[in-house]
Amino acid sequence: MRSLSSFAWRSLRARRVRSLLTVIGIGLGVGILFAAQATNASIDRSVDRTVKQLVGRADLRVSAFQETGLSDTTLAAIRGTPGVAIAAPQIERRAYLQPPLGTPPKPPVTVLAIDPGVDPQIHDIAGAAALTAAGADALVSQRLAADDGLEVGSQLVIQAAGEPVTLIVRGMVPDNGPVLGGFGRTVVVGLDIARRAFGQIGLTRIDLAVSPGANPGAVAQELERRISGEHYVLSTPADLGVSLRASTADFQATTALISAIALFVGAFLIFNTLSMTVAERFREVGLLRAAGTSRRQIHQIVLTQALILGLLGSAVGLAIGAGLALVMAGYVRSIATIPIDVPATPPEGILLSLLVGVLVTVAAALEPAWRAGRISPVEALRARPEAGSAVRARLRWLVLVFAVVAAAGLLLWPNRAGDPGPLRALAVYGVLLLVTVLSPFLLRPLGRIAGLPFALVLRAEERLARGAITRDPSRTALTVGALTIGLAMIVAVGGVAQNARHAATAWLGDVIPGDEILTSITPVPLDDQSPVTSDLLVPGVMRLTPIATFGVAYQGIRLDAAAVVGGDMLADGRLRFVEGDRTSALNGLDSGGTVLLPRSLADRLALGPGSMMRFSAIGAKSADLRVSGIVERGLPGASGESLIVGWSDATSLFGVAGADFFAARFAPGEAGQAGRIVLESRARELALEPASLERVEGAVSDALGQVFGLFDALAVIAVIVAGLGIVNTLTMNVFERVREIGVLRAIGMTRRQVWRMVVVEAGVLGIVGAILGCLTGLVAGVLMLGLVAAGGLAIPLELPWLTMALAAVFGVAVAMLAAFEPARLASRISIVRAVQFE
Amino acid sequence: MPPILEARDLTKRYQLGGEVVEALRGVSLTVDEGEFVAIMGPSGSGKSTLLQLLGGLDRPTSGEVVLEGETVSKLSDEQATRLRRDRTGFVFQSFNLIPLLDVTENVALPFTIAGQDPRNSDLAARVRDAIEVVDLSGKQHHRPDQLSAGEQQRVAIARALVTRPALLFADEPTGNLDYTTGSEILDALWRSCTERRQTIVLVTHDSKAAAYADRVCFVRDGRVLEEIPLGRRADHSATPLISRLAQLGL
Repeated sequence: MRSLSSFAWRSLRARRVRSLLTVIGIGLGVGILFAAQATNASIDRSVDRTVKQLVGRADLRVSAFQETGLSDTTLAAIRGTPGVAIAAPQIERRAYLQPPLGTPPKPPVTVLAIDPGVDPQIHDIAGAAALTAAGADALVSQRLAADDGLEVGSQLVIQAAGEPVTLIVRGMVPDNGPVLGGFGRTVVVGLDIARRAFGQIGLTRIDLAVSPGANPGAVAQELERRISGEHYVLSTPADLGVSLRASTADFQATTALISAIALFVGAFLIFNTLSMTVAERFREVGLLRAAGTSRRQIHQIVLTQALILGLLGSAVGLAIGAGLALVMAGYVRSIATIPIDVPATPPEGILLSLLVGVLVTVAAALEPAWRAGRISPVEALRARPEAGSAVRARLRWLVLVFAVVAAAGLLLWPNRAGDPGPLRALAVYGVLLLVTVLSPFLLRPLGRIAGLPFALVLRAEERLARGAITRDPSRTALTVGALTIGLAMIVAVGGVAQNARHAATAWLGDVIPGDEILTSITPVPLDDQSPVTSDLLVPGVMRLTPIATFGVAYQGIRLDAAAVVGGDMLADGRLRFVEGDRTSALNGLDSGGTVLLPRSLADRLALGPGSMMRFSAIGAKSADLRVSGIVERGLPGASGESLIVGWSDATSLFGVAGADFFAARFAPGEAGQAGRIVLESRARELALEPASLERVEGAVSDALGQVFGLFDALAVIAVIVAGLGIVNTLTMNVFERVREIGVLRAIGMTRRQVWRMVVVEAGVLGIVGAILGCLTGLVAGVLMLGLVAAGGLAIPLELPWLTMALAAVFGVAVAMLAAFEPARLASRISIVRAVQFE
Repeated sequence: MPPILEARDLTKRYQLGGEVVEALRGVSLTVDEGEFVAIMGPSGSGKSTLLQLLGGLDRPTSGEVVLEGETVSKLSDEQATRLRRDRTGFVFQSFNLIPLLDVTENVALPFTIAGQDPRNSDLAARVRDAIEVVDLSGKQHHRPDQLSAGEQQRVAIARALVTRPALLFADEPTGNLDYTTGSEILDALWRSCTERRQTIVLVTHDSKAAAYADRVCFVRDGRVLEEIPLGRRADHSATPLISRLAQLGL
């Protein structure tokens, strides 16, 4: 066996370039897999750390459902509940810090108010002991300190709805501080300070620890019985972890899918490499068989080669993956709501990547090994191998590799109960397999089409090249399959990205009744005493619409809701009605008692115009609203589309304190332009952040583009792996045609013509791959849209022409570049040797 | 009339491992237009190497090959390729057809390679004519794998003849065929020589094949040992050749 192993090793060394290309191919596939695991592990670790930081030792969390917050009565009720040992109240609000004289205002801060006497028993906030409930002390996050140049002893002034409060920095909390979002600009203060700064507001949440021996489940039931005066959300630390993970789940799912696909493409490369080795060593294997080597020993030689390639490739993959993980973590930071750690290299990730890399390699080697074992010594020693039709065997092999890679992909899939994602991903993956399995039958007709542009100028080369690609349809199909899959992923991801961007921007344009958005960090009251509305209605502003977003409880579930002025929507022509009378429905919103539903929500809840919806309202009452219309899209909410109510119902039934933002519509022409300048300046004076709708749309589009850009980059890696496969396949085609090329040279084909013939062959492969890749990518894209749409955003399908064109050009270019070396080899074939070649 | 092909003092040395092998050691010969010459010799005698030099597939170490007044051995690779394409035809032992092209396409290949459209009426007529010469008119749309070995070799002959080359080189064209099929191939070659004045240089180790030629050059150890004139004979009997070889002790 030792000598057989060395035989395998020597065989690989004899074809160093090919072995190297294969190792790189496996390495890229394993690299993406490992990077995905390392990133996912980093996300999980960061989520756990964040949950611990946010919840501390709490067993349960009671959060306010409405902006008004939880009352002290509720706090008392919680503290009086049997089994509750500690109840730590917190207030979390956003505010501005007064900038030093002559400096521009900085972004807002998140103020976290705690009860310094109780909070340290549950949370570990560094320096919390330095605070008192009413003392003018504050802790600041390291990020805020760095941003604003604060240090211990510095003075800061909080400006909010209440009186300005001056505080002294007594300490620093690590990183972003114990809150989510807010760009890490956190100030921790005592509860009384917050009430001075923000006015008499309710509690944002109460974290509680149960007594030793008490069952948190039983305590939760008791709490539900006792808290009846206001709406709240009761959750566990695990629930928080789930919701935090949800923000990166789509990312994890897509990386799992793409890494599985890159591995699948890598498997094609291994298969072709080992097939080539077997074909090249046909005689040698025959000799070994004649000399008494058993079939099993032949299998061992091929599988040992695979094992060597798999181990080397996986090791290279770990190095590639470690670098890639850093890049991916950077992307996740841009989309996640929590700070993400630098990816570590989890030992189980290393083991899994090595295992999957080697398993896929060995699975890919089974068919070539089986084929090598079946070589008849008599046939091998008599004549040159003729490429037999092994289509069925290869397709069986493909299904096996598909299963191994699918299993690896599922292992990586983010764990969410009842998630239809894995099924959809398997469907995407299955479509790719189907196309590969069908491609041997499509090669001839597609090759004819793909050859047309070449035939116009290089007739002989095109005819011969096209013939060459159908010489061994299953091998060519596997090569084209790899390219198809890579290009399909580019098209699919590009299509999803384009559709998501268009959907997001169209959505905003469809529902926001203005050219400019003025955002407030705290709700702006709309009562008569509030000067904001009148101050903002400057000349040139045609219409100023206040909008609030909030949550409502319907049949025990939370729905996103938005409060709008129906008359403004009507005048501005926003909201597209699918059902119901537009005029009466929008006017009805302002009168109260009605609600508009976005189509997606109406479908989900099976409601239509005339349906009654019973919501939980303030004061533990319920409110019945009639559905007066169904709109194509609602306003954007926290987790999807919002239902729409009028302002009167929002304030009286749901306790909405004021507008979260205003939409301003400018008059046409110069008056509007002048109005914009005045409005923006006035808004800043009123602590509102102005942004044009285009800017908001641009920001949404950029954020989506950034995330999808990463997926595109990963798909490009798959195409490059496919390119390595094309080098192998073309080299193999050249090898198999040495004699034929020699004859062509003998009867008058020039070296240049031979070179062009091989490059044209690659070009035809590239075009076939591009055609199949674009079509498959569209189908995969539709399935992936379903994956994204599951998150709540309904996305209409739009063909990504530009992405398809770019992918096609890229695919053909990669294929033709990959042909250069095989073409050089072919053009240098010695005629004398070739015609003697047996 | 000057000979159509002349080889002058050809030598060919190869480096094989660390050893120098002398495949040809000063071979000179001439071939006249319309003549059928056989180069005969045992395995390893240098006969195939000689054919490769005569046909411009390889270059001699020294000496020169002159085809229709042009010194082949001095041509660049590109020029030699064009010369092969336009003025010579080759038939090899392994029929070497392009498996994915049908009979007509295989025969028309030299035109296609030259950038000519074989559907052009004149060229199409030449392709049909070449197929007719080898008696394959009913099978012009068959692919090589649908033909017998003999038929495949006849297609190779048609491909070599289609450009109406000055010279046709055949390297052991019957080596892979049984006796009857081999005879059919030799008959086809002979017909093209007698009916169309096609000049042919045939390399073979088989005296029965060589007996079709007007003249046989016997090669051994890289030298032409003997030229045996047989004259043009319709019976192709190998007896005169075998007797002469026996006389010479070859």
